[in-house]
Amino acid sequence: MNSIHVKHKWEPYLWLLPSLLLIAIFVVFPILIVFKLSFSEITPGGVIGGFIGFQNFVEAVHLPPFKTVMLNTFWWVLSVVGLSTLLGFIIAMVMNQKFRGRKIARAILVFPWATSLVIQASIWNYIIKYEYGSLNSVLLNLGVINQAINWRTSYPIEFIWECGVGIFVTVPFVAFCVLSGLQSIDGSLYEAATMDGAGFWSKLWNITLPMVRPSLTVSTVLNIIYVFNSFPIVYTMTKGAPAHKTDTMITYLYMLSFYERKKGPATALSVIGFLILCLCAGIYMVTVMRKEETQ
Amino acid sequence: MKKLLAFLLALVMIFALAACGQTEEKPAEAPAEENAPEAAGDEIVLDVIICQYGPNTNEWFLGSGMNGTNFVAKFEAENPGIKLNLEVVSWNDVHQVVDTRIANNNPPDILNIDTFSEFVPDGLLMPVKDYCPEDLYNDFFPAFIAESVIDDTVWAVPDLASARALFYNVDLLKEAGVEVPTTWAELEDACQALLDYYGGEVYPWGIDMTTDEGQACFAYYAWGNGGGFVDAGGNWALNTPENIEAVEFAVGLVQKGYTNPNPATETRYDLQDMFAAGKLAMLLTTNQLPTYVADKGGNINMATAAIPANEGKTGSSVGVMDRIMVFKDDAAPDQAKRNEAIGKFLKFFYDPENYVGWVSMEGFLPAVNSAVEALVASDPSFGAWLDVLGSCQFYPAAKAEWATVRQGVTTVEQNALIGGDVKEGLDALQAEVAG
Repeated sequence: MNSIHVKHKWEPYLWLLPSLLLIAIFVVFPILIVFKLSFSEITPGGVIGGFIGFQNFVEAVHLPPFKTVMLNTFWWVLSVVGLSTLLGFIIAMVMNQKFRGRKIARAILVFPWATSLVIQASIWNYIIKYEYGSLNSVLLNLGVINQAINWRTSYPIEFIWECGVGIFVTVPFVAFCVLSGLQSIDGSLYEAATMDGAGFWSKLWNITLPMVRPSLTVSTVLNIIYVFNSFPIVYTMTKGAPAHKTDTMITYLYMLSFYERKKGPATALSVIGFLILCLCAGIYMVTVMRKEETQ
Repeated sequence: MKKLLAFLLALVMIFALAACGQTEEKPAEAPAEENAPEAAGDEIVLDVIICQYGPNTNEWFLGSGMNGTNFVAKFEAENPGIKLNLEVVSWNDVHQVVDTRIANNNPPDILNIDTFSEFVPDGLLMPVKDYCPEDLYNDFFPAFIAESVIDDTVWAVPDLASARALFYNVDLLKEAGVEVPTTWAELEDACQALLDYYGGEVYPWGIDMTTDEGQACFAYYAWGNGGGFVDAGGNWALNTPENIEAVEFAVGLVQKGYTNPNPATETRYDLQDMFAAGKLAMLLTTNQLPTYVADKGGNINMATAAIPANEGKTGSSVGVMDRIMVFKDDAAPDQAKRNEAIGKFLKFFYDPENYVGWVSMEGFLPAVNSAVEALVASDPSFGAWLDVLGSCQFYPAAKAEWATVRQGVTTVEQNALIGGDVKEGLDALQAEVAG
């Protein structure tokens, strides 16, 4: 009995060992090095010097664009994650209904998520181009507009376009996560609720949402991390222009490191971003878990 | 327990996904021996990084773009005992690749890139005289060599250059009855006349204030107003009244509606596309424009002129050059042999038989005298461009703060586009780089 108990006790860890080793070597170790670098002097040529305490962090937070970049990052994550969750949920509800061509619709839905972000951003860049953009061409041909519209007249609008592309590519992921949750709900629950006179909103609130909460939690946490770290959309569409007004933290630290060659503050920013992510994802998961516990 | 589990789970996910989204380099210090050429018997291996100038670069160096063979194969056949580990890297990635290799104590032996000054203070580069054969050294245009000097030492050699000038669509200007502008006042008049005539169908003037070309934009207008990046003594002089006036003039052209609508995001290539499509009447760009337009299938009747300057000021063409530099390798078993191999590489590269094909392939201008005759013979227009190149001013890339200035002036321009104060921006930049 004892030997079986010991075997059971160690077996899961044994199975986990290869993954843990890979994560340790390829993920944890490099991140620890970035932490070390953030406290080291790094020359513009890329040579790593000695320990300099928090100097890189102080320099990073005193950079003029820091506030704008942090605010942009906040709105970028909030709008992309928030709206793609809402839209993804609605689309998942639709996709869960029985209708002709449902399989094709589901296949099409996955395209934006499966395509490279650089390609997506480049395509959207062409779509909204003033001179040769396909959006203007289509609207002109349909007679909706008389002359081409400049869809990028100011930087807030450019930033909104970037968020829009972010939402477009993120929605399918949420939709599929929620769809998997929806498909696991027992149909008899809805039948019983209907018998009791529950309407659409009541069923949504009392059955659907609680049942898909685990799927939503996973998609939201993953999206917070993905979207926060997303680089290609902003870099391809504006490179943070004008004057870092559309930069997020990730694109800004790239520009700082490889264009301005301020590698120390760039590494410090990357650590700050990592800590913010830890905090956000941790708070979200604990809150959701606590709710589930109380229910 | 569940809370702890939640935190741990979140942490693992963040670790995993942060690595996926990570764009910052994660260098590790590696032993110096890694940098040693992999000697196999008497063979010496040179690590070479070349930037991708266009679709033909890779073919020429590694494919079959060199009359059915490639640079590496031909070099190795003619230089037994030297092996090239040559990599063609895109301009978008090259800084990241080089930085990561330096941080790993494994820089390439030979690097082709635009800037070099950031590597000199760390003692990473070798002086050119240590490896460059004297006859080749004397073949470089002296004005080009002078742009790679820090503390009286030459640290890099030019691999090619391009010159900027005003290109205009002859037919568009002729139809509107507009003369080619030579001064800023004439430029504004010409733009207004084109705007009136074409009513927004054609942009009179192209302007690129993107992160890639903002420094060129600064140079066009500052040099045309008696200003510039540095003063006569070579010290940073960014916030001079001439420079402030120049940036305000450039931004004024945008605000008056004379230019393409989004100069902060429309790159030189976007402008060249507009020009090739007959949507843009005038732009300041490189001598490669005719090749670019032809490649795009455009058929534009174009001509060139000097870059307009302010009244009473003398304009200057803008020259841009890239470089080849050599990194030190203290672990190389035989330094003399390594230097000799590098010298052979350079001699082979700049041999007119090879170099002329390389330079003309993407429409660039040469950096050595020995290539001029053959290039002019193959395309007479090169002669005029070589004259322009002779009177060009270059960016002060030898100054250690150049990377900061390059981005800084671009930020000032972009800020001005959205209502920011030019003087304030240039004052702050000057204070940052000059103390």
